[in-house]
Amino acid sequence: MDLIDLGASPYSDGVFEDFLRQVCERLELDHAAYAGINPVSQTIHGFVTYPEAWKKHYAEKGFDRIDPTLEFAARSIAPVDWQRLATHPNFERVFSDAEDFGIGRMGMTIPVRGPYGDIGMLSVSARVGPERWKLQSEKVAADLQSVAVHLHDTVMRSDDLSRVLRHPQLSKRELEILQWTAAGKTQHDIGEILSISHRTVEVHLKSSREKLYALTTAQAVARAIALRLIYPL
Amino acid sequence: MILVIDSLNKHEFPEILDDMFRLRGRVFGGRLGWEVEVTDGREIDAFDRLDPLYVIGLDEAGHVISCARALQTTGPHMLADVFSAILCGEPPLRSANLWESTRFCVDTERLSLGRGTVKGTVSHATCELMIGSLEYLRGCGITDIVTVIDPVMDRVLKRSNNAPYGYVGETVPMGKVPAMAALLDTGEERVERVRAFAGIEGSVFADATALARLKLREEVLATARAMQGEAATIAVLVDYLDAQLAAARTSHETEAVRLLARELAAAADGVAAAAATLLPEPPRLTGAAA
Repeated sequence: MDLIDLGASPYSDGVFEDFLRQVCERLELDHAAYAGINPVSQTIHGFVTYPEAWKKHYAEKGFDRIDPTLEFAARSIAPVDWQRLATHPNFERVFSDAEDFGIGRMGMTIPVRGPYGDIGMLSVSARVGPERWKLQSEKVAADLQSVAVHLHDTVMRSDDLSRVLRHPQLSKRELEILQWTAAGKTQHDIGEILSISHRTVEVHLKSSREKLYALTTAQAVARAIALRLIYPL
Repeated sequence: MILVIDSLNKHEFPEILDDMFRLRGRVFGGRLGWEVEVTDGREIDAFDRLDPLYVIGLDEAGHVISCARALQTTGPHMLADVFSAILCGEPPLRSANLWESTRFCVDTERLSLGRGTVKGTVSHATCELMIGSLEYLRGCGITDIVTVIDPVMDRVLKRSNNAPYGYVGETVPMGKVPAMAALLDTGEERVERVRAFAGIEGSVFADATALARLKLREEVLATARAMQGEAATIAVLVDYLDAQLAAARTSHETEAVRLLARELAAAADGVAAAAATLLPEPPRLTGAAA
């Protein structure tokens, strides 16, 4: 996915909202919302693509306190498809109103658990039928997991203390693979050089990218060089 | 069949969860001799309190025959903490699409006593659990799994066309047997290979009928466990009712067991109440006589 590089963007609510809008566009979703709690800085962050009128109504009704898509997802590790919550009375309360504002009932919330007790939730929804939603949600689940963690990690390091705590910690293997990548070797080459499968190379590269708050390998290599984790070649 | 239990439905299956913790107690505390805390025969650790996702294999009667536990690698998980020896102190892999699987085990004792059919073998149970884990995690958007296993499980995986594509860290001693961290992808090709090896077709997950039956079993056993009476007597009644449920073929028969449990509980409560009014308190010895 070609998305805003949050790792290199200055922290602003506008950037995050634009990021969410891009995610919706790429994955054919109507709306996306992110909420995150940082216990280190004791701050709550929230960004949504919802219309102003719905945001206002939601706040006035106090839905944030009863919305089951937040309440139940906060305790889950797996993405929570909203259909699992559909029989909950509070779901009906929130989503019968939501429909009046053009917000669909098909959706899911992807919870993120971070290393310092931080929790984030990315919710997405679409106005489609249940069958279409099943196919669509299966197709986008992996991308959404990745987007949710990227967004959450970036939001969570927006204060100075968290930025120090979240300094990237890469393993020797991850650095070795990044160094060979910087030297222009392909995943296949690196697998041969290190006598490991190319998928092992790939999973290490993916982990390195996420630890470096990068969406692409090129960004990850650049950041690793800037942080003097690997040598420029 | 496979049942997935997470924070949303764990309150519905206390009996199955307890059965799983006892299986883990036998395997990790007993057979493998890992340094785990076993209380009352149940192996439960700090990560179980983080609402992980459990993939559980059940036999036809609803007994736990296999289990695994999944945690995100973005947050607290075992390789970052208790299994750091495997990684030689190196930071663990961390990725949105990579989950950690731990406490992967199969009830070899119960299965080796089984009917000897293919369906009752350790290999079949392992393959079914793997299929369930890989498919469910793929649905969650997870592409890869890092799993902490012992060399025996590693051989079982290799033999069942499910060989790990790689390993991280080293094989280190852990109790009676060593432990290692293997990498598996959740791709369809891998699942197809395991399915072909084990001859498993169709969905491995508990369907609506099976779920209803499992919930009824939970209700019956909860009724029996809440009965008044001696612990040993209640244990016998629980086993009896569970055996009756396992033998029940129709919904009429399961319904009859549910009624029986309620009647037994009511009768036991009645006996206890009657006993309380009829029997005088045992005489207490006081003063010098004691």
